[in-house]
Amino acid sequence: MSGDHHTDATIARRVRRLETLLEEKGLITGERLDEAIDAFLAESSPANGARVVARAWTDDAYRARLLADGTAAVQELGYMDGSYQRLRVVENTESVHNVIVCTLCSCYPLRLLGPSPSWYKSEAYRSRVVREPREVLREFGLSLPASVDITVWDSSAETRYMVLPRRPDGTEALDEEGLAGLVTRNALIGTAAV
Amino acid sequence: MARINDVGGTQGFGAIDTTDDTEPFHADWEARVVGLFNTLRAQGLFNTNEFRDAIESMPPAEYLAASYYERWFTAICALLERKGVLGPGELDD
Amino acid sequence: MTDAATDRFPPGTRVRTYRHDPPHHTRLPRYARGKRGVVVEPEGPGELADVSARGRGDAPVEQIYAVRFEARDLWGEGDHHVVLDLWESYLEEDSDDER
Repeated sequence: MSGDHHTDATIARRVRRLETLLEEKGLITGERLDEAIDAFLAESSPANGARVVARAWTDDAYRARLLADGTAAVQELGYMDGSYQRLRVVENTESVHNVIVCTLCSCYPLRLLGPSPSWYKSEAYRSRVVREPREVLREFGLSLPASVDITVWDSSAETRYMVLPRRPDGTEALDEEGLAGLVTRNALIGTAAV
Repeated sequence: MARINDVGGTQGFGAIDTTDDTEPFHADWEARVVGLFNTLRAQGLFNTNEFRDAIESMPPAEYLAASYYERWFTAICALLERKGVLGPGELDD
Repeated sequence: MTDAATDRFPPGTRVRTYRHDPPHHTRLPRYARGKRGVVVEPEGPGELADVSARGRGDAPVEQIYAVRFEARDLWGEGDHHVVLDLWESYLEEDSDDER
């Protein structure tokens, strides 16, 4: 960031000023804004995506539905109701690894993954992952064998993507909740394995 | 030729800071900006594509210097001015 | 995700993206302009973002397609794939005689 961008205090003041102006014009109320922020935070968590993954790992019929029509399958679990966006779930296998980006802005399945990490919105990630995904994944600590084909999904329209990671070995004894606890946000984006 | 937001394949942005920040906002004003965006869009003052267009229309140097939610705030202000909700310079008075 | 029979480009169709450099909002990134790819499948209809971004309520609704590109077609090298979701008017059928 260059040195001449607005300082935090300056922009905080300007945001407050805009809020006041819009309140005076009768366009918003502080209460309405608080509700919008609460709703944004309450409905969105990577625990949602993790629960979907754990269900897919333990229920083959659900997994098939999830891969065929992600939107309908997550709606079964109560997510994305009333959303105008579609969800496509892409499955990692022994030979295919998927990773998600939005090179043009920051599109992301918010409700299933929670607010996105700063790196997902960074120019560094957005510029590089479509060009050199293997190197980028290595920077995240994920080294894939050369035999694994990497597909990068650039979210350029109204479909949002989520990765279905591979279920790790040695997890046969875990129930759905235990499995969900293993799934990280990065695994749902594709920059980590489980 | 394309707009400054169109960075896929652009070289020179360097290493990725892979820190797994779990806090959705780094300052209270960022939350207020998200609240403003959701509220004003829901009221039909602008649609998502107009909002993206307003971010992309920032001068390239300003876009790159601005933080993520600073871009959002800049775009919201630009749209409110364009729609006549805010007078020119009203925010600076 | 939609009835393929009603779509212009069924899965597997070889397509080419337009080379156009529009002076307005668009969702075809520059790295994928004038490039050859293969349709994965239709993603469903959507308002054309290029028009909707001008605040117009009359944006045409077009089919959006997931299109798969090989890295070497995009960058001249690389062994990965990139998939983009592209509106129908961003695409034309790729004719073999131009290859």
